[in-house]
Amino acid sequence: MSAWAATAFAHPVTVWIVSATAGVVVAAALVIGALSATGRASPALRRELWLRLGSWCVLLPLMIGPVLAGRVWTIGAVTALSLACYREYARATGLFREHLLSFCVVIGILAVNFAALDHWYGFFMALWPLTIGVLVVASIPLDRPAGYIQRVALAVFGYALFGAGLAHLGYMANDTGYRPIVLLLLTAVGLNDVAAFTVGKLIGGPKLLPATSPNKTISGALGAAAVTTALVAGLGWFIFQGTPIATPVWLVALGLIVAIGGQAGDLTLSSIKRDLGIKDMGVVLPGHGGILDRFNSLLLVAPSVFHFIGYFIGFGLDRPTRVITGL
Amino acid sequence: MEWKLRPARDLGLPAGARLRSLNREPGLVGVVVNALWRRLVRVCLRVFHRLSVTGAEHLPTAPPFVLIANHASHLDALTLASVLRGRSARSARALAAGETFFGSAGAAMVAAYAINAFPVWRGRTRQGDLATLRARLAEDGLVYILFPEGTRTRDGTMARFQPGIGALVAGTDVPVVPCFLDGAFAAWPPHRRWPRPGRLRLAIGPALRFDGVANDRAGWAGVASCCESAVRALGDDPRRRGWGDDRRPPTA
Repeated sequence: MSAWAATAFAHPVTVWIVSATAGVVVAAALVIGALSATGRASPALRRELWLRLGSWCVLLPLMIGPVLAGRVWTIGAVTALSLACYREYARATGLFREHLLSFCVVIGILAVNFAALDHWYGFFMALWPLTIGVLVVASIPLDRPAGYIQRVALAVFGYALFGAGLAHLGYMANDTGYRPIVLLLLTAVGLNDVAAFTVGKLIGGPKLLPATSPNKTISGALGAAAVTTALVAGLGWFIFQGTPIATPVWLVALGLIVAIGGQAGDLTLSSIKRDLGIKDMGVVLPGHGGILDRFNSLLLVAPSVFHFIGYFIGFGLDRPTRVITGL
Repeated sequence: MEWKLRPARDLGLPAGARLRSLNREPGLVGVVVNALWRRLVRVCLRVFHRLSVTGAEHLPTAPPFVLIANHASHLDALTLASVLRGRSARSARALAAGETFFGSAGAAMVAAYAINAFPVWRGRTRQGDLATLRARLAEDGLVYILFPEGTRTRDGTMARFQPGIGALVAGTDVPVVPCFLDGAFAAWPPHRRWPRPGRLRLAIGPALRFDGVANDRAGWAGVASCCESAVRALGDDPRRRGWGDDRRPPTA
């Protein structure tokens, strides 16, 4: 085994997650193949299922590959994801017409991810108030007070969710043991969605928030919370062994943060879409919609998990800091 | 204070369809690419074509408005766009032949991102397309650059104007600015693959308004005829004597 592979797969949880993901994709292909061969699914459903699976086959390597490849790749992928999410948000809300503010948000996203790449925690945190300060004043010299509150609010909202919030996922890569944690988050939020859908279909019952998201049920939300919490707590037991988090209480708390944060992120995007009167944020991923429709669950999970783990352990505290600006 | 959340008009369109959509709205990347392209074109027109402009004071200070001119070459839309500045320049959309500029994915990328063109398909323009163009002109404050002859001249003479221009502006207060471009046929006639250096002169005339004209076929024909007269008048202006004459085929 090469030195890179030995590092990438050093932690058994990394091996488990990657193998399980590959196994699920193969199993899904076999099931859809069987449905097609026996003619038990309608052509439209088969096409939809293949489309979704095809999207996953492109998406999963793009998600897992950079995490395995290393710190720089992970932060690079998170930057690309942030920009793609912001683009969809800006086009859906109309903020993209405010070129100056959109430019400032993009610079803010690049800056906060640069701070993560530099491993400069002070700057990473300072960019919150700094970028918001810039967004607040940037459009004043245009002397166009009409619409000021709307455009600044949309820009701050966009930067908070897709810049500062999501960048926490990349910052985790400054820790030598980031791979199993980031992979766990990526899989757990995905599983959270699937569990909510499946349990909701199996049990049914009253709707969770019918005006916001008509398809979500209370049973689905609770079922997903149970499944996700169990998965995160179970795998967390192996990831955090020997640290203060490795107690049942804190592991369950971590699981609940992922489960609730994931569903809250989903509902945040549902609220945005309902308010705008649109169904999907884009058409980039066939069978899924936009990038945001797929990654909404990560938006709140990334910062909340980062600070939860940070409270007990921290990220990359034994690693060199300011690796670019400190030269 | 009023919140107006207006999603992009082209939201939900796949990438290829978006490039060719009359509802396309450029984002940050499009704005930057177009700005760089405009600067490059301006330098080229100055260096290779020594472009001179008269009547620039007739250009409205802000969109919406429509720029029309005689059509002899692919340089025409670039030249007209190059005289615009600020918001007008950013809002400019050249109405270009779909077959030529949006045929392949690569061409469509350049036409959409750099030139900021909208496709018009020969013989396939639907009433809905014209309605979209008409609505966006006023609502989004755009500047259209279009050539009412419908195609480039093959012999250097200006053809009759098509009534389509009327469908965009009849009954609205959107001004139409007539222009006459001289030298473009000599520089890049339709049978040449690439342009050659040669002097370009652009005359811009006073804006025309058609707010009192009925938005029907008779009104559109009237608008087209009025626009054609204004452009011809600029071409025949005695002050232009001494210019290279675009109305004659160049002698080899």
